[in-house]
Amino acid sequence: MSERLVPVVCPYCGVGCRLYIRSVDGYPVGIEYAKDIPGIANELGKLCPKGNAVIEYLLAKDRLKKPLKAKEQGKFVEISWSEAIREVAERLKDYAKDDPNQLMFFGSARTFNEPNYLIQKLARMLGTNNVDHCARLCHAPTVTGLKAIFGAGAMTNTYKDIEEANVIFIIGHNYAETHPVGFRYVLKAKERGAKIIVADPRFTRTAWFADIFLQHYPGTDIALINGLIHIIIKERLYDEKFVRERCVGFDEVVKAVEKFTPEFVEKVTGVPAELIIQAARTFATAGKGVITWAMGLTQHTHGTENVKLLGTLSAICGYQGKEGCGCSPMRGQNNVQGACDMAALPNVFPGYQAVTDPEKRKFFEEFWGVELNGEVGLTTIEAAYAAEKGKVKAYYIMGENPVISEANANHVVHVLQKLEFIVVQDIVPTPTMEFADIVLPAAAMLENEGSLTNTERRVQWSFQAINPPGEARPDWWILSEIGKAVGFDGQGPKGFDYTSPEDILREINACTPQYRGITPERLKENLAGIHWPCPSPDHPGTRVLYKDKFLTPDGKAHLVAVSEYKGPVELPDEEYPFLLTTMRYVGQYHTVTMTMRTQALRKRWPEPLAEIHPEDAAKLGIKDGDWVKIVTRRGEYPIKAKVTRTVKKGVIAVPWHWGANVLTNDALDPIAKIPETKACACKVIKITEEDARKLMDKLPQLIPKIEIVRG
Amino acid sequence: MARKTIFIDFSKCIECRACEVACEREHDGRSFISVFEWQEMAAMALNCRHCEKAPCVEVCPTNALYRDEDGAVLLAPQKCIGCLMCGIVCPFGIPELDLINKIMMKCDLCAHRRAEGKLPACVETCPTDALFYGDFNEIIRERRKKFTEKAIELAKTAERIKLTGV
Repeated sequence: MSERLVPVVCPYCGVGCRLYIRSVDGYPVGIEYAKDIPGIANELGKLCPKGNAVIEYLLAKDRLKKPLKAKEQGKFVEISWSEAIREVAERLKDYAKDDPNQLMFFGSARTFNEPNYLIQKLARMLGTNNVDHCARLCHAPTVTGLKAIFGAGAMTNTYKDIEEANVIFIIGHNYAETHPVGFRYVLKAKERGAKIIVADPRFTRTAWFADIFLQHYPGTDIALINGLIHIIIKERLYDEKFVRERCVGFDEVVKAVEKFTPEFVEKVTGVPAELIIQAARTFATAGKGVITWAMGLTQHTHGTENVKLLGTLSAICGYQGKEGCGCSPMRGQNNVQGACDMAALPNVFPGYQAVTDPEKRKFFEEFWGVELNGEVGLTTIEAAYAAEKGKVKAYYIMGENPVISEANANHVVHVLQKLEFIVVQDIVPTPTMEFADIVLPAAAMLENEGSLTNTERRVQWSFQAINPPGEARPDWWILSEIGKAVGFDGQGPKGFDYTSPEDILREINACTPQYRGITPERLKENLAGIHWPCPSPDHPGTRVLYKDKFLTPDGKAHLVAVSEYKGPVELPDEEYPFLLTTMRYVGQYHTVTMTMRTQALRKRWPEPLAEIHPEDAAKLGIKDGDWVKIVTRRGEYPIKAKVTRTVKKGVIAVPWHWGANVLTNDALDPIAKIPETKACACKVIKITEEDARKLMDKLPQLIPKIEIVRG
Repeated sequence: MARKTIFIDFSKCIECRACEVACEREHDGRSFISVFEWQEMAAMALNCRHCEKAPCVEVCPTNALYRDEDGAVLLAPQKCIGCLMCGIVCPFGIPELDLINKIMMKCDLCAHRRAEGKLPACVETCPTDALFYGDFNEIIRERRKKFTEKAIELAKTAERIKLTGV
């Protein structure tokens, strides 16, 4: 018997906490807090409930252990790895021969950098840029918005800076519930005397710690942020020196925000004018300020504009390039940043090098030894519509669950039924898997090793703690075998002949400027990780971006003004009188594939509850715990009601983990292509429990039973 | 010498219930700390207080409840007869009956972790430091020190303002 204590990174949210897994003979027996590693993201080894329960889902009875092939929808036969890989490779080759753009690849923010690098390499070497991942549905506007203003789409600072700030503006983000360990830094700042400003349509647990709380209507962020900028400019509270020396476009901003007077903003957002004035003064005069946001801000048709305005707000106050300042978009999954860096995106090569740039393309053509496609590929939602028209015929889905996670889920189900060929690579059965032709069993994160990049650009190495079940294999192994079987068997970067994730990371070092100095040896030695950009092996990493200049071509911040107020595309009307918004619970994660298989979490957060204001509830005759049916133009969803004052009158808040995306709107932000998941019109109807059960049977099963037949 | 125990700052509790999950893991699927929500707003964790004058220890007819060297109130399972007296007298309703073995169970301040020099699991994991393990006198001293520091800082600021004539 050999007992080991293995340092790993938590497989849940984007904070990137470290912990130890205690394992005996490759079998997990417990965890230990990483108290003894200095400088990690989770100070003193603190963990949230999900981090405390990382083991149970690994032991789930329905873990996938053998490759499967579908006989008919939802019925599978077991096949061998060689058969599975041959079949996948041949089908991919067939589609690539006709037209590579018939293929669509999904990377995953829940697995390491290495498999994400490989999946986009496979897609691009096959001749298509159709590769995307779930960051499209959470932080695409952050990437496009911040890139336009500052030149790069990542968090500009670290947790240390949140702790050192004098004012923290949290917007569209229930920090305490989504990232409890990250919220620790906010509370530490507050204890030091920092002011907390929270803007959210719901009175969240985060709002409870706010000095100023702005409760605006879902989707009115543009008006709110413009209102803040308006007051800061009118009262001359902005940093004149910073604006003069390091920004361009200030005059346009002054003009654009002219009409956003506190009175106008009060009318649109429902926030009292004096509160907005107070917030603006507090924010601009603090000296050191951080803005942090998440999906509440980005999941809108105007998500990109929201982010650009926040960047502008931060820049005019001079809160960039300094310690204790910056913009902190908080990522929901542990490797969203890494998957973006590795270019599981349709428009860039690794390190955000545009596919349309002939020079960059030439570099990668020489590096990988194939001719590359110079056209921007399809995003997830665009692929769904292209598939409907028959332009996309095959999906390769790695560690994703679009049936639950994508907006307007009914449409996604319809599309998956239409596709000719679907490969799903995952650790447990998901609703998406029911439509798969080939299922590839993957090893979970703690069962293999590799590098991950957390929300603050910190790249960390996670070691293998336990053995994968049955014949499950690491993601990088599966992808490199498929790559070889497709025929990419060249030497070094020109092929897929890898023996370990270290090989792949070395290749990433060679082609990604930000990761050049982040070698496997350094990561294994330094458990706390390295912040990119790290341009050489002796570079210590970068804590604060833009100290001397921004990454835009002229080195200045390009301030952006949005003069037109845009609300949600679908507003309440007579038929659909309520505004629906989505939220999440601290103990549930993503599409509940992992957390609902964990007893400790399932028991505490067993079911979704729709939050409704007492006055609205009284009007509809709904009491706490009654079953209701929420109906939008796209679908209906049965749920229990929770009568509470946390939401504003006229707003309904529903947790999305259990498949509420059948309701949400898939209208897209024109730039970032993110659907408007956070706001749409709905109606609420009281129903009986029996009706609710009937409706529930029609929805996709969250934990499906995969039927395995013989022969 | 005062004993060490777990203190709770409910103004910092974010109701993430990490303490419950951690306790459950350390105690075979049973959590001895519970987080309660008060009117959608405040949340508060509640666990055994290991009272200075512990009524459960006083009332136990078989001396199954005793104190270890750190002062934690522990239960000797072989002595417990499941008479539920401790549960009735505890003002917080902490001791629970194990329905299978018919004996009481309660928070042991993670005796197995303390033996290795570690903190109780709930304290170790609390992301916001709402739970902390310590000696009451030390905590009071620490709080006085912090308050004094703040007051001095405030006085200094006031002086600065006076000097610059604002």
